[in-house]
Amino acid sequence: MAIKRRTAILVALGIVAAVVVALWKPTVLIYGMQSAGLYAAIAIPMGLVLGIVHIVNLAHGEFMMVAAYASYFACTASGMDPLLAVLPAAAVTAGFGLLVYKLTIRRALKSPELNQLILTFGLAITFSQGVNLLFSSQTRKISLEYVSASLTIGELSFGVWPFVFVFVAGAMAYGLKLFLTRTTTGKAALAVGQNPRGAAIVGIDVDRTYGLVFALATALIGGMGALFLTRSAIFPGVGGPFTMKSFSLVAMAGIGNIPGILGASVLLGLSEALMRAFRGLRGWADIIFFVLIMAVILGRSIKGRKS
Amino acid sequence: MILDVKKLEAGYGKLRVLDGISLSVGKESVGLFGPNGAGKTTIINAIMGIVKPWGGTIEFEGTRMEGMATHLVARAGIALVPQERELFPGMSVADNLELGAAWVPRGKPIMARQLETVLELFPILKERYRQYVGTMSGGQQRMVAIGRALMANPALLILDEPSLGLQPSIVAEVFDRLALLKKDISILVTEQNVRESLRAIDRGYVIENGAVVLEDTAAGLAVNPHVVSAYLGI
Ligand SMILES: Nc1ncnc2c1ncn2[C@@H]1O[C@H](COP(=O)(O)OP(=O)(O)OP(=O)(O)O)[C@@H](O)[C@H]1O
Ligand SMILES: [Mg+2]
Repeated sequence: MAIKRRTAILVALGIVAAVVVALWKPTVLIYGMQSAGLYAAIAIPMGLVLGIVHIVNLAHGEFMMVAAYASYFACTASGMDPLLAVLPAAAVTAGFGLLVYKLTIRRALKSPELNQLILTFGLAITFSQGVNLLFSSQTRKISLEYVSASLTIGELSFGVWPFVFVFVAGAMAYGLKLFLTRTTTGKAALAVGQNPRGAAIVGIDVDRTYGLVFALATALIGGMGALFLTRSAIFPGVGGPFTMKSFSLVAMAGIGNIPGILGASVLLGLSEALMRAFRGLRGWADIIFFVLIMAVILGRSIKGRKS
Repeated sequence: MILDVKKLEAGYGKLRVLDGISLSVGKESVGLFGPNGAGKTTIINAIMGIVKPWGGTIEFEGTRMEGMATHLVARAGIALVPQERELFPGMSVADNLELGAAWVPRGKPIMARQLETVLELFPILKERYRQYVGTMSGGQQRMVAIGRALMANPALLILDEPSLGLQPSIVAEVFDRLALLKKDISILVTEQNVRESLRAIDRGYVIENGAVVLEDTAAGLAVNPHVVSAYLGI
């Protein structure tokens, strides 16, 4: 119930912020929503893993980076459009994710949380340094015609392609909700997240479910890796900030709260865009999310003390 | 025999809890009695594969089960109502009940029929069908846990303190229902409420300090001086 209230608050704050900003500085709304979509689409799979497997995957953004590199080389070698690489990248990354899960994370499920954090942090470093060694730190980019499509409304002119991430994030959240609440496997996953022992008692293979959920999350982030090529250049460290932002968004939303991630992403995206809209504040844009997190955690602890 | 446990030893870390327990359940209803900490829950956890036995054998319908993973024990046809309930608090009554049957080959095909039986047994669950289980009272959650286990259409139903937190009238009713169920299902039940449960069982074991100290029919236990003084009270 606490989660429902928090979602409602986050969504309401997001809407209020959006309305205020839309009237005052429309570009902030546009760019803010575009990055919100990207943030949410990347954070949702991390939230899925945290909510069900109860692992904070600090290599989350690095999985996306690895998938982006694989897609990049596949696309440049074959001349394929990154959009066509989305599904293959999802499938391959799911396999890779399952392998990594079986070899490492699975063995740490019963370890103290600190050990789990060190493990996934180690994976993150291994991935980014591995890519660095193999392919150098050079930035790589695929030029695409359609991503520069822009729309002009009155005096306003902006790129429309990044809105695709808003749809992807919405589809991901809605699809996962349907999966978790309507299918037998999804319900089993939800049950495992809420009570693994109870799940085993009713015949659910908990270990297999963890593997499945981890593979599903890495599939989503793998697809995002290919899609990411349409938005940005890549380099070995490109995933790191997304790990941090995803973690913060998931923490703001609360464990297992996927709609809350959408709300938190809108709040973060709009705040950043707002800071960027002012020349003097531009440098602060990357810090704003730390401020938001501290505000949320502070608010929560004050509320906790009251009750 | 449906369940045949021989010389079962188990414990936690260095603590030995079960010291060679042997018991069996046929097409009948069997009670496990004993003081707090005697090892009743540990016996059940060993049968369910929740704790790994140190020694001894567990046979269920002719198959050796000791050390088998919990979900496989459940799929083989043993359903458990745990002492701590172990429900899915953020899911509805409907989903909790459905999950009781969804992964068990014996339960899945007749899920609709079992659901009817369960809702008839606990009408309150029908009223609260869409409510989150985590927001229900302890006694109501106990009913969900019993209902969830029945959904599996088990060959053996194990209940660990089923009357814990239930009001006396419901306890009586639960045991009446269990007495009816035992026609089709074998039952192994632990209970502090010995008097009430003696009505529903055929035989019982008294466990003390991890060993069986007494085994008798329900009628025999009811008049046994040790049982009368230690468990029935006057
Ligand atoms: N997870 C555990 N770790 C360590 N020791 C445990 C654990 N669970 C139970 N024990 C110990 O094992 C012994 C037997 O416990 P068990 O729960 O089997 O007793 P019980 O007969 O079910 O008691 P009650 O009537 O209170 O439910 C106790 O001494 C208890 O302290
Ligand atoms: Mg017990």
